[in-house]
Formats: sequence, C-alpha cells, structure tokens
Amino acid sequence: MLNRRFVIAATLGAMSLPGIALAQAPAGKVTVVTSFSKDVTDPIKKAFEKAVPGVTLEVQNRNTNAGVKYVEETKANNQVDLFWASAPDAFEVLKGKKLLTAYKPKATDIPEKIGSYPINDPDGFYFGFAASGYGIMWNERYAKANKLPEPKDWQDLAKPAFYDHVAIAAPSRSGTTHLTIETILQGEGWDKGWRTIKEMAGNFRSINERSFGVPEQVNSGQVGVGIVIDFFAFSAQASGFPVKFVYPTVTTVVPANVGIIANPPNKAAAEAFIEFLLSPAGQEVLLEPGIRRLPVNPAVYAKAGADYPNPFTDPRFQKMIGFDVDKSEQRTAVVDTLFDQLISFQLDGLKGVNKVLHEVDAALAKKPNEQAKALAEEARVLLAAMPVTEAQAASAELRGAFTGGKEKGARQAEVENQWAGFARDHYAKAKAKAEDALKAAK
Amino acid sequence: MNASIKQDTAAAAIATPALSVEIEGVNLSYGDNHVLKDVGLSIRPGEFFAFLGPSGCGKTTLLRLIAGFNQADTGRVTIGGRDISALPPWKRDVGMVFQSYALWPHMSVRRNVAFGLEERGVKRAEVDRRVDVALGLVGLSHLADRRPSQLSGGQQQRVAVARTVVVEPKVLLLDEPLSNLDAKMRVQVRRELRELQQRLGLTTIFVTHDQEEANTICDRIAVMNDGIVQQVGTPMELYENPANLFVANFLGTANILDGRIASDSRHFELDGGIVVESGSDIPPGSKLVFRPQHAILAPADAKGEGVAMPCIVTGREFLGASVRYLVTIGTNPVAIDVPFQSGRDLVEIGAPASVRIPERSLLWLSN
Amino acid sequence: MTAIPTATTSHPSRRISATPGQIALALAIAAFLVMFLVLPVATVIYVAFTEKGTSSFTLVNFYDFFRTELFMRSLWNSTYVAAMSVVWASVFALPLAYLTTRFAFRGAAIVQTLGFLPLIMPPFVGAVAMQLFFGRNGSINLLLDEYLGFKIDFMEGLNGVIFVQSVHYFPFILINLSAALRNIDRAMEEAAQNLGSSGFRLFRRIVFPLAMPGYLAGASLVFVKVFDDLATPLLLNVKDMLAPQAYLRVTSIGIADPMGYVISVVLIVASVLAMWLSAQALKGRDYATTQRGGGGLARRKMSPGEAALGYGVVFLILALVLAPHLGLLLLSFATIWSFSPLPDGFTLAHYGRVFGESSIYIKNTLLYATIAGGIDVVLGVAIAYLVLRTKLIGREWLDWMATAALAIPGVVLGIGYLRAFYGVTLPDGTPLASLWITIVLALAIRRLPYALRACYAALQQISVSLEEAAENLGATKSRTVRRVVVPLMAGGILAGFVTSFSTAAVELSATLMLVQSNSDAPLAYGLYVFMQSAAGRGPGAALGVIAVLLVAACTFLSHLVIERSQKAKGMDH
Repeated sequence: MLNRRFVIAATLGAMSLPGIALAQAPAGKVTVVTSFSKDVTDPIKKAFEKAVPGVTLEVQNRNTNAGVKYVEETKANNQVDLFWASAPDAFEVLKGKKLLTAYKPKATDIPEKIGSYPINDPDGFYFGFAASGYGIMWNERYAKANKLPEPKDWQDLAKPAFYDHVAIAAPSRSGTTHLTIETILQGEGWDKGWRTIKEMAGNFRSINERSFGVPEQVNSGQVGVGIVIDFFAFSAQASGFPVKFVYPTVTTVVPANVGIIANPPNKAAAEAFIEFLLSPAGQEVLLEPGIRRLPVNPAVYAKAGADYPNPFTDPRFQKMIGFDVDKSEQRTAVVDTLFDQLISFQLDGLKGVNKVLHEVDAALAKKPNEQAKALAEEARVLLAAMPVTEAQAASAELRGAFTGGKEKGARQAEVENQWAGFARDHYAKAKAKAEDALKAAK
Repeated sequence: MNASIKQDTAAAAIATPALSVEIEGVNLSYGDNHVLKDVGLSIRPGEFFAFLGPSGCGKTTLLRLIAGFNQADTGRVTIGGRDISALPPWKRDVGMVFQSYALWPHMSVRRNVAFGLEERGVKRAEVDRRVDVALGLVGLSHLADRRPSQLSGGQQQRVAVARTVVVEPKVLLLDEPLSNLDAKMRVQVRRELRELQQRLGLTTIFVTHDQEEANTICDRIAVMNDGIVQQVGTPMELYENPANLFVANFLGTANILDGRIASDSRHFELDGGIVVESGSDIPPGSKLVFRPQHAILAPADAKGEGVAMPCIVTGREFLGASVRYLVTIGTNPVAIDVPFQSGRDLVEIGAPASVRIPERSLLWLSN
Repeated sequence: MTAIPTATTSHPSRRISATPGQIALALAIAAFLVMFLVLPVATVIYVAFTEKGTSSFTLVNFYDFFRTELFMRSLWNSTYVAAMSVVWASVFALPLAYLTTRFAFRGAAIVQTLGFLPLIMPPFVGAVAMQLFFGRNGSINLLLDEYLGFKIDFMEGLNGVIFVQSVHYFPFILINLSAALRNIDRAMEEAAQNLGSSGFRLFRRIVFPLAMPGYLAGASLVFVKVFDDLATPLLLNVKDMLAPQAYLRVTSIGIADPMGYVISVVLIVASVLAMWLSAQALKGRDYATTQRGGGGLARRKMSPGEAALGYGVVFLILALVLAPHLGLLLLSFATIWSFSPLPDGFTLAHYGRVFGESSIYIKNTLLYATIAGGIDVVLGVAIAYLVLRTKLIGREWLDWMATAALAIPGVVLGIGYLRAFYGVTLPDGTPLASLWITIVLALAIRRLPYALRACYAALQQISVSLEEAAENLGATKSRTVRRVVVPLMAGGILAGFVTSFSTAAVELSATLMLVQSNSDAPLAYGLYVFMQSAAGRGPGAALGVIAVLLVAACTFLSHLVIERSQKAKGMDH
C-alpha cells in the first residue's frame, strides 16, 4: 500500500512540471497541519472550497512545535499534504529534514521581498502568503490606571515608567519574536543590540512560552504592554478589546508561510491550495477583520480601507534594515539559548538590577552626581556583557552543541550552565555597583 | 491461684462504687418504624442485667441509647440519679464493648487500651500503670505490643473489655460480646465476664439473644420483643412465672395448647374435644401453658392428682438426664420430659397414654 | 508497592504461589503496559542515555543535570511546590470529605460534586478565567485595590503555583479520602466516642488514621501530579521548575538537546519514588476497617451550632475553589472583559457560535473518556488485586509502571505513539496511530494512575477474611473477585472511574499530537482551536463551560450511585 501511494506521489511529482500540473483536476481531501486559529482557517477554507470545487480542506490544528514533530514522526506513512504556519524557522527545520517538497507557484504578481525580508524560500520549499509586522500593543484601561505613557518605539519600553509592565514571548518558543530579536541584533550590532534587549528585558513582567499568551495577557489586562505581531492586536480590536497598537520606527516584517510536505497524498490539491492562497481571491480573504493579515500581493491593498497598513508603501516598513537571513539561520539556536539563559531564567536578577538603576536615574534627575552616573554606567556595562562574541555565536563549534549533531564537542547542557553562571555573576556584580551608585546619588 | 490474687488486686484498683441505671418512658422511632415503645427499666447498682430478645426486638437500640449513640424521642436515662439524656456519647462515662469489638487496627493492643485514659488527660505514667493493670485483669499482659489482627477472637474480646473497663466507667455495656466466639470459648468467656463483673462490682448491661447466656450469668433479665419490655425478673422468676406467651416460649421450652374458654371461665376446651378444668378464672384470650418437666406421662387409665389429658405418644428423644416424649393431645403437639432412670421401661411410640399436670403448674397466658 | 500486611501478617501461610489465572492476568497487563506505555516512551527518551556525537550509552547527561544550577533550582522548586500543594490541598479537602461522609449533611452529593469540579479545568480557558479572577489585575485585586488600596499576589511566582495547584488538584484527596471515610465501620468511631473522644481529637486519632490509605492515595497523587505538571507553572510564567523545563526543551523546534528527556527520566524516577514512599508509610499497619463487609456508616447529626459552622466552612472552601469556574462562566457570557472586576456586558452569542460544532466534540469526548475510564478501572482493579492479594514475583512492577505514566509529559507520550504505531498500517494503508482508538489508549494510559490509586486504597480497606469466606463457600478466586471483592470496592472503583473519566475529558497535551481530523476530535481540542485568537475567547469559554457541565453531570450521577449503594449497605440503624 505504501508503495502504491509512493508511486502515485512520484507520478504526480513528475506531472507537476509547469503547465502539466493542473492537467489533472485536483479533487478529494487535502490535509493541512496549521497553527492558525479558527478565525483564520474557517474563512479561507470556505473560500478555497468554493474556488476549487470537489476539494475539501481538512484542517488539523496543532501548535507550530507539535505540528513539526507530528510531520517528522509520521513521515514513514505521511498523510499530510501541507504545512501552514507563521514561523519561518519551523519551515527551515522541515526543509532541513527533507520533509518539504519544492514547488514553483504560478502567481506572478507577488514581489520578491516585503520590507527587506524575502517573501519566498529561495530554494522554493515554502512560500509567504501574508505578512505581518511586529509592534507594541497595550491595554488602554491598564495604561490609564497605571499612568503609562503611550509607547512609540522599542526604546520607550526600557524607560522606568514601564518597569514590570511589559510582556514578550520567548524567542525560543515564538519564531516571530525570534525574528524581532534578530532584527535588533542585526540593526544595532551584536553588543549594542544585546544591551538594548537586556535593558528592555529589565522591564519585563513576563516571558511567555506561547506567542498568543502575550496578546491574551494584554487583552485581559493582566499585563499592560506586549510585544506582539500586528494581527493579534488588530483582531483583538475587531473583537472589541480596549487595546491599541503601534508599529515602532523600525519594525520587522514577517511572512507567514505555506509549504507542501514531502510525499503528499494529494499533491494536486495541495498545489491548488497554494495557488489559491496566492491568487487575488485568496489574498483578499486576508483583509477580513478576524484575520487582518497583510497581503503579499500589493494590488489587493486597493480593496482595503485607507487606514489598512500597507507594507509596500508605508515608510516604516521600508526603513527596516537589510535583514541577513543566512546570518540569522546560522545562529538561531545560539541566540535563543542566550536569551533563555541570560534573560528568561535569570529574569529576577536582571530586574533587580534594573529596578535599582531606575531609582538611580530618578535620583540623578533631581540631583546630578558624576560618581553615581559613572557607577551606574559600570553596572549597565556589566549587565550588558555577553559570554560569547558575534563570531563565536556563528562558529561551527558552538552551533554543533545545539544540533545534537554527529560530531563530538561541547554538550548543550555544559554551554548553558556556563552561560547561566556568567549571567548570575555579572548580574550580582551589577547589582552591587548599582546599589553603590544609588548610595552615591542620594 | 497466684494469678487470681493478682487479678483481685487489679480489680480492686479499678473498682468504683456501683450506680443504678433508670430508663423512664423511652420512645424511639426511625420514621414510621417505632423501635422502642414506652420502655421503662430500673437497673440496680452492681447488677448484671440482660436485655434478652430475638434480633430486631430493640435491645441493641436501647443499649446504644444508653451509650448515647441513639437519641430517644421521649423519656430519659439516668445513671446514679443523674440525667444523661442530653450528654453526647463522649461525656457519658458509659463503657461499651462492641459486638465487633471495634479494636482499632492501626494501634497496638496497649495503645488501644490506653486510648480512653489518654482522652481523659491522665498522665503518661498513670496511663501505663493502669493499662498494665487492665491487661493483667484480662490476662493479656504478654500480648500488649501485638496488633489486634494478630490476636484470636477470644483475645480480641478481652482486649475490648480491658479497653472499656480501664477508664472506670460508671456502667458497662456489652453488646452481644460472645456472638463472635466458638461454643467452647463462649462458656469460658461468659464465666470470665461474670467473675470480672463481680470483682469490679460494676453495674453491667448485657445484650443477647441467647437465653442460656442470659440465664447463666445475669442477675436479672428484661425480655424484650417488638420494642416492648415484656417482663423483668430473675431467670428463675421468668421461667416459673412468665408474664405472657412470648416470655414463656422464649425462655426454655413451653407447651402451648390452643382452645376455647367456656362461658363460665373455669373450663377450657381443647381442639379435639378434651376439656380442662381450672381452679380459678381463666383470663380471656389465654392459652394453656406448661413446662415439659412439670407433667407426668402416665398410663391411659391411671388415676391421680391434677389435670389429666389423654394423649398418643408420637416420638421419643433421649436427652441424657431425661427422655423427652413427643405426644399429641387432641390436635396439639406437646413435649413431656421424664427423668431417665436406668432399667425403667419406656413408653412405646403409638401407645395411648395420659398427661397429668399438677394444678399449680398450669399457666394461663395470653400474648 | 509492597503487599499489605493484612494478608501477610495474620495469615503467613496464605497464598504462597499464584494460580495460573493470576499469572496469565499479570502477564497480560504487563504486555499491555509495555506495549502502550513503556515501548512508546522508550522510543523517545532513550536519547537521555546516549552520548552526543556517538549515540553510545552514557550517563554523562545526568551528570550535566546535577551540575546545572538551573536544574537543581528547578528540582528544589518542584519539590517545594509539590509538598506545599499537598498541605493546602489537604486543608481544602479534609473538612469537605469529613463533613459530607460522617455527618448527616444535607446536600452531601452536591458538595462532593462541586468539590470535584476543580479537577475539570479545561485547558487555556481555565487559565484565562483564573487570571481574570485572581490575577494581578483580576477582579479580586482590582476591587481590593480600589477599596482597600492593596493587592494580594495570588498568582505570583512559586506561591502562585502552589495556590493554583492546590485549588486544582485537591479533589484527588477529597475523592479518595471520602471513599476511605465511607468504608470505616462506625463501631470504630463509636468505640472512641464511648471512651471519651470527640471532635477534632476523634478525627485525628481514630478517623483520620483509619482513612490513611485513602488520604495517602490522594496526597501522593497530588504530590506527583503537581511535581509533574507543566501547564500551571507555564501559565504563571514560572519556568524554573522541572516539568516546564522538560516541556520547553522537548518541544522547542530545531534544538536536539537530550536534557528534556533527561528531565523526563528524573520526573519518572521521582514520581515512582514518591509513590513508593507513600506505600512504605502504610507498611506494617493494618487498615482493613471493613470487617463486616458493610461499612455500617455512621452519620452523626450536627447540633445547630455545628451545622452553622460546618456549612460555613464548606461554603467558604467551595467559593474559593470554584471561583475559577465562576470566572469561566462569566467569561462565556461576557462581551468584553478586560481590566475590570466584571465583564462590560453579557451575551449569548458565544454559545450560539459553538452550538453547531460542539455536538461532535461532546460525542467524541464522552466516548473517549468513557472507554478510557473503563480501561483504567479494569486495569486498576486487576493491578491492585495482583499487588495486594497475590505473591507473584515482581508484581510491584505493574504498579510502578502504571504510576510512571503520571510523570510522562503528554507530548512525550504523543510522540512515542506516533513513533511506535504510525509505521504500523491496517490492510487498507491507514496508519494504526491515526485511528481514534489510539487517542483513547493514550488517555487511558495517562489517567491509569488515578484509577489505580483509588482501587488500591479501596482494596486495602477490605479485610481478607471476607474473601476467605467466599472461597470457603466454594467460590473460585475469580468468582470471589467478581462477587465479593469488586462489589465491596464499588465506591473506590467509581471514584477511580470518575477521576479518570473527567480528567481524560479535558486532557489536551497527548491528544493534540494524535488528533487526525476534526471529526475525531474531543472537546479539549475544539477548545484549543478556539483559544488561539482574541475572538475565540468567548466561544472557547462557552465550550469550556459545556465540558465542565458535561463532566459534572456524569460525576453527580455517580455520586448518587455511591450514595445509594451506601444506603443499601449500611444505613440500617
């Protein structure tokens, strides 16, 4: 049986050369594993089944991690046609494990890049069908009760007013947050970038393990401000929550992707689904209030309202630095683990220093004191110190520790423990300096 | 002998002045089920008193009422003149030995016995001393550190008694304490119980359905049936002068003959046409009752004192000290016990005979 | 777990060897557990024992574990939180269990049912509802802040985890302790009263010790469950505990770190150890309190003062532990609920939205949870019987294996099932793992420890002599089990079934891995799908309420059955 399916799949594969693929009309069931919510999948399923009669879309809802594991574990007898999710890194993992099939979409009116991020995988294994920008979301009632100023940019979140009011998702758990961190690192450089991130992190209220956890907390008013992807905020607004959203001056544009699984049981229908998503009809569905994603077809924006953000014309999206995808990929695991070990698991220490530094700033504002200022800066330098340089982060040696690779070398646990120790030491020293500064300032 | 002296000393250490128990006008119902009906009893200080009756007669309910586990709808219970009706069980100072013994499986024998003293806030050393005394009293000192499940039924029973008497209760209640023992143990343990009660001089109430148990160890018995006290008296009084058919039948064997009372109230016509004459008026609704050993089996034509009734011998049972003849008077089956004497001829089955009863042994009883 | 001395000490010569039937039963259960628990899990966690680069056997990963500050901190935090949760869960459970079983308490079945509800906390929505009530800016803190000017950190850090966990899991103690209390012969309690004991001393010295098997069954479950739970710490953003560490590592994409599996192994060992310790605590003691086979439950009447106090305590506890459910209910009717003590407005629209699709979810949930609960009690009774009443060599391993299931993260089991069964296909090419029965098996395995503990405690309280009586009257061992043991265990079995059933009904982690299509999906999956967007919060809550009501109705029904059987058994006085 397995063989027969393989033969069919291979035949279909051969037929999917341009121009021949649709000679056989797609029919039957096409199965998609997705992390998207019902609000997104239901309207698209409806529109797709209307546009391509005879095909039913079977949606298997799993979070991105579970979805990847699922595809990986079931590859021997694959029943899934498509993988459909936001995080590009999930697709990278699937691609790396040879679990995706290459395809060339026929849609022609889609540009190569959005902002400076390539919309499609250059090797043709997965395709961006919608874009989303990263930004800051806040709860108006919370902000009013806690007298928070309106945040406008990333740097605002490092200000004393926001201490203990900010939430983010862990980059190791949220591909989109990872891209945000990476954007800051690439934009500001390794050392300065980490300093910005840590100073912001000193104000974190929580570091969530689910992307949706952040908007959920902001929606219910448990946290005031969240670093989130735009559609979370837009769909919350559409549902009536008292939240606001702003794109900072430098935002990350992240494409949400779709790709065909290797050996799909219904390849023709899988391709039809991708073609539909990229077609104007499919792109227009993205404008629905419950979905609110940015279409990758610039022409579709004509149908959107005037206030609908357009990444192809809005200058904020154009400002985004030239994002080096290769660089990002090389050090993904290192950056995520650094964030976990230096920030997530040491958050109390980090916040402890930051709180004292805020007090020093407040004292200095009233009564300037050079010695205190110098001590505070020393503390900030200690806080910002990194156990690895940018070059080390991308080194094959360090990467090997995280891939569980075949080569011998440092184990991940060893590296992690080392970094955690580094952070503890430095935060303790920084705390001492900051307290000295506070004494001097008073 | 030595052991007995030790036990007497132990008993002296535990004994307290005996108190009376008065039960006055007690009624108790569970919904529509009227379990105790106007029960009134007066139990004397130091008395070994039995509640005797068939199962379901209310005797255990009454005992639990004295212990405080049941609440009377009306009436009251006093001990030594003090009304305890309103007290919860733990303030009554009434020791109860449960039918199942209710030894706590998670405690050793010693801990079980010590429990009541500890609850009373007795000092450790005193607790130890008194537990030793109590265990000595029941002869179980050597098993103090065992768990209840490691003891035999008789031993468990004695632990239960020791646990109860060690707190020097005002009254001792025993709920069918012998029912879980084998026949031989039963005889032994009931003697032990009696001895112990005598030594402690403790007012004791004993619930049983076994008349032999009640007869052998109790000073007085209250016979109960259907929630009503039928009669109170010493075992012999009850046997000699049962107040009604139920008591007569429940204590020992009784021959009960059905018939009609003649209009002059002096003659009783049995089924089958035999007429018995009474020296006194026969109470209305009565039946003729007599004990098997109070009658004589005489030849059919023999003459003599008392009432004579013709009968036919239908069976014979050898009981050791006596021979029981099963005869029919008219249509009534009757048992007659005749002392067994070696060499004397037995009456043959099927032979006609005459049952002769002294006038004073005739009982006219109703329900 | 070792044999209970009821059988051994008083009858040293009894049951030296097992019957062929018992051996066959033990082998069958062992085969089932190996097939559906040990093997699938082993395919996943063997990584913990392999060396990086060479894939050869090594223990170096465990050396890393004990050397890493984060993991040691996590180990300590998990232990502390689990122990404190047991303490608080006991505080909640003891009054409810004692008052409703040993007193004439009107509404006992309702209290028992309501007291059970916290266990049925649907994933995601439950968390949101809890935050809306107890969170830093939840209803209670907003009101406190407005009127009294301070806030209470119910849900902050480790103490927050302890609070949520003890509210969530205390029903384990409630349900097992109640079953044990019902089994105590009333003469045991009366004998103590007769000797002058009453009130709390009576409870502490007699009633509670006699109910110890039930209490320990519940308490050890709470300990292990809290120790192994990852959802609550993650919801409260507490990451330095063991189970969340394992989960985060196992499920992070693209990182092939063995430490997640190492932690899983540590969790399994710690869980089995905790269960073993609780068995040791009972060793050398006798708890067979059902001597006459009937229980003969005494329900004391309370004086008006006692009754007022009793109802007051029960009401307070229920109000606290049911607050999350009240929050859930409000959420399901709420238009918008954000940073305010109560929602802005109310609507029925969320129920309208889920109405159409929920029927398939309900059907699947009932089907799966019922079968899983059924499998669990059958296995639970069988394992408890083999361990407690036979001398089979290695019988404790059955118990340990089943118990280890508590410690296995659902996602590990899910992956293990895919790995072990996806390659196996039916004649038409359908993978074995894609049949819905796979979900049922995963649920049964994950909830087996609950049912097992309940059955175990129930059997511990039954005197061997009752079985001997049956055997003496000519019943074979299997007929004795069927006609005497199982009926006497009925309360415990039902308790086990209810626990397994209702927790299986809201389980998600393994399910999410195994659900193949919407038509096979249970309620928890539907909930998950809704709870991924702001607009889905209301419908998700509505679905959550439906799940809770559904399970609560089943629970209430079984409580009625327990009550009725109790009445038939021992209320004749």
